[in-house]
Amino acid sequence: MWRLFWRRKERDADLRDADLDEEIEFDLAAEAAQRVQAGTSRDEAERGSRRDFGNVQLLREDLREMRGWTWLERLGQDVRYGVRTLRKNPLFAAMAVLSLALGIGSATAIYSVMDAVLFRALPVSDPGELVILNWRAIKPPASGFTQPAGIDSVDGSVYNGPGGDRLSPDFPWPFFASLRDGNDVFSTVFAYKDAGQLTVSVQGQAELGGVEFVSGNFFEALGINPAAGRLIYDSDNLAGATGVAVLSYGYWRDRFAGDAAAVGRTIRIGGVPFTICGVAAPEFFGIAPGSAPAIYLPVGTRPKVMAFSVGEKISLFTDAHFYWTDMMGRLRPGITMARAERETDARFRQFVIDHGANGSRADFPSLWLEAGGSGLDSLRRQYSKPLYVLMYMVGFILAIACANIANLLLARAAARRREMAVRLSLGAGRARVLRQLLTESLLLALPGGVLGLAIAAAGSRFLIWLLAGGSADFHLRPTLDWHVAAFAFGVAMATGILFGLAPAFEATRVDAAPALKGSRDGAERVRGIGLKRILAVAQIALSSLLVLGAVLFVRTLANIHAIELGFEAKNVLTFSLNAGKAGYKGAELNAFYNRIEARLRALRGVSGAAASAAPLARRFYRTPAVFPGNRKGLAGWNSVGSTFFETMGIPIILGRALSSHDVKGAAPVAVVNEAFAKAYFPGRNPVGEHMGILDGPIDVTIVGVSANAREALKEPFSPFVYISYNQIPAPEWRGMDFEIRTSAAPLALAADIQRAMHEAAPDVPLGNVATQAARIEGSLTQERTFAQLCTAFAVLALTIACIGLYGSMAYAVSRRTGEIGIRMALGAQGGSVVWMVMREVLTLTVAGLAVGVLCARGVFPAVKSFLFGVRFGDPVVMGWAVGLLIVSTLAAGYAPARRAARVDPVKALRHE
Amino acid sequence: MAGKNTEANRIDLLQGTLDMLILRTLRWGPQHGHGIGQAIRQTSEDLLQIERGSLYPALHRLEARGMISSEWRSSDLNRRAKYYQLTGAGEKELVAEESRWKLMVRAIGRVMRPAQREPAK
Repeated sequence: MWRLFWRRKERDADLRDADLDEEIEFDLAAEAAQRVQAGTSRDEAERGSRRDFGNVQLLREDLREMRGWTWLERLGQDVRYGVRTLRKNPLFAAMAVLSLALGIGSATAIYSVMDAVLFRALPVSDPGELVILNWRAIKPPASGFTQPAGIDSVDGSVYNGPGGDRLSPDFPWPFFASLRDGNDVFSTVFAYKDAGQLTVSVQGQAELGGVEFVSGNFFEALGINPAAGRLIYDSDNLAGATGVAVLSYGYWRDRFAGDAAAVGRTIRIGGVPFTICGVAAPEFFGIAPGSAPAIYLPVGTRPKVMAFSVGEKISLFTDAHFYWTDMMGRLRPGITMARAERETDARFRQFVIDHGANGSRADFPSLWLEAGGSGLDSLRRQYSKPLYVLMYMVGFILAIACANIANLLLARAAARRREMAVRLSLGAGRARVLRQLLTESLLLALPGGVLGLAIAAAGSRFLIWLLAGGSADFHLRPTLDWHVAAFAFGVAMATGILFGLAPAFEATRVDAAPALKGSRDGAERVRGIGLKRILAVAQIALSSLLVLGAVLFVRTLANIHAIELGFEAKNVLTFSLNAGKAGYKGAELNAFYNRIEARLRALRGVSGAAASAAPLARRFYRTPAVFPGNRKGLAGWNSVGSTFFETMGIPIILGRALSSHDVKGAAPVAVVNEAFAKAYFPGRNPVGEHMGILDGPIDVTIVGVSANAREALKEPFSPFVYISYNQIPAPEWRGMDFEIRTSAAPLALAADIQRAMHEAAPDVPLGNVATQAARIEGSLTQERTFAQLCTAFAVLALTIACIGLYGSMAYAVSRRTGEIGIRMALGAQGGSVVWMVMREVLTLTVAGLAVGVLCARGVFPAVKSFLFGVRFGDPVVMGWAVGLLIVSTLAAGYAPARRAARVDPVKALRHE
Repeated sequence: MAGKNTEANRIDLLQGTLDMLILRTLRWGPQHGHGIGQAIRQTSEDLLQIERGSLYPALHRLEARGMISSEWRSSDLNRRAKYYQLTGAGEKELVAEESRWKLMVRAIGRVMRPAQREPAK
């Protein structure tokens, strides 16, 4: 259709052009006829007529300009011409489009993900008014265990801030209540507490689901509407209220197929019955981007659902020293965050003092606010640094791609000087030529932008998959919003215009005469070459930065993999079980775990099975150790089943392992590791010694020493104590991990094990089924992601830079054909010509490397925390990076160098 | 830069006048581009040489504005020629241009020879 229209337009235009030509021809003929009449010869008359007419071409252009349609026609003409010239140079076109697409695509993908994780506002009303309350305590003294004044215990997260401060979003309930009941800066304050994964049984089917406890004003304060039924009210938190639950829209859809009859049904959460009272609005995915709770419960039911000690149950809502609830506030209109922070901080300090905290005032925790509009910051804390690093890497890629385009266009413009000169001398206006070149750049930028968007869409999905790192409850919607898309397109266009015009200006400043004569160096400007050199060096510098990064991350990954685990991770299947959450209490728990151990050992293909409180190489707990004479130490500890050492392949060096006789009632015993023996019993045999461990403290006898085994992957071996889980009460709130050694591939047994577990305990769901090796791999997600991404980026950068280098060297060779011809005519050998070109490549590479390494030194501290076991100046790392760069750039330069060596001096000189 | 400016002014001045001269010439009847140029030259006794680079754009512009219309006709040279012809709007434009021109001549005359009340006829 468009084609037809275009054709017609074209025909009209052609007709009008013909008219124009005829009119001009007639004028010439009439003039000549007149001159003949006046007595000149026919020839002379025609020549004179033409001479006196003036610039026919210019007139024709001028007249065409005056026609209304011309801009479109001209555009069509430019586009057709542009396509034709690009087609003549497919490599150039492909390289330019590809560089642009890769640069824009990766930048957009990263930006989209960053936007989703870091900047996007919560889907609630007026997210800008929300603030998160946190406290901060100054760095504790080196001794370690002290809590900030006034804080007895924290049930939640305390993390290290800059400068070793301790930061936490958890507060005691009475403080929340006092703020909620009256304050000047917040229009409303609401509380919430993530309960993690709990057992949710729907009609007898147990499964794990994310649960969040919320205060009665939670939904109202956020401005969330129900999709069905009602949400949680204040009255649901009153003592004696029937337990109600609100489902997230996603969970309702997945688990109840979006059935409206789900409202009113009863489900059991952690063994406690709840009535579903409603479903939250579809767009509300929780207040933490990335993790979406399945079920919201009134916070008042927390003591019922979570297993607390009796004391804790009572004090949860009254103890001013027990910090556990998270809270957000909504700023009153006109109140700044700074003012709200000042007033709330004063109140918090008073609260701490009022509740009898003693100590110097400097020890008191202080309150600080954080913008809550984009949700909780746990995800941000976890991913913001990696994402920023990624963003920089992508920025480098974009810069390299742009430099490449600039380089390609520069080289092309220089190669087309002759063409430009011809067009200019035939009367084309400068603006006309510029417009032509601009059209061509946009012809490159447009597909580059479109392809870039496609890459961005695929890339952001890939990135989220990487970030999720196998975690199933990671919900981020990989949407490319239109701002980002427009931004990407803008970058594409701007790149095209900028780098298209700069060379175009250069090209149209051609002094027509020497360019026409075809001399290769006549009109050449040294400045252009200088710019190209600078671009090449910058590209190599940026590439070397990325290559260096890639080598560092790959090396880090290799170092971690090379870590001696101290146990046999192969053929071990692990899973976790939490009988406490299924309602088992006290002594039932250990009995249950014993039963499971026995059941597992009886399975065919299982050569060993043991439970442990903490999974190996993933997590561990610490305990003080008190030795006779009141000597004190610190150690990690784990409570394990009797066959743990045998199952995990940890050798016993001295004494004995734990045994099935080490049960409740028998004398408490412990096995310590080598590091423990070395640290606390240097030069002595610790077997038979006594010590006190855990809170009791429990007096245990050391019965054996085991070889060191990793409890945390990236940390050195540290003193460690193993005790039998049968000798201490099993905690109700925490499950057990089971390690099963199999004789064949462990995952082949997973189905059997799951069936067996379902028979043994249908009401206790199985969690985290994975091989031990996969678990270790899982903990390395970030390192692996970095190594992979950085390697990919480095390859990308190096490829793009090498393409650029190839382009500029090829161009330089073609420019110097004459010179090379003279050299060869004077007796230079092919080898020396190759060397001449390669020397140039080498110079550029070394210069780029020098700049790159210097920059890398500057940014190294920023990525240091992602590295393990490598130093900046590591000769292996440096050797690899430098070697890779030099080899690739030399490879890029070799083809043009070979071509230079094959220059035929006769041809080259004739051309001159 | 100064040189360019005065050149631009001259073109501007000429353009307005050129249009008037063309319209005036076409009052005698339809004529082709070359004929118009010749007529202006002859009536001005060779004082005004109209460049084709100005003439044809002026003709096309006038045609686009509807002051003149065109038609292809056979000519005495045995080939088609594009003949231009005054339209009604063109007639009116010519009258307006002419009076504007007279006004300007008088004004310029007064400035150049302030002693004389009326320029010599």
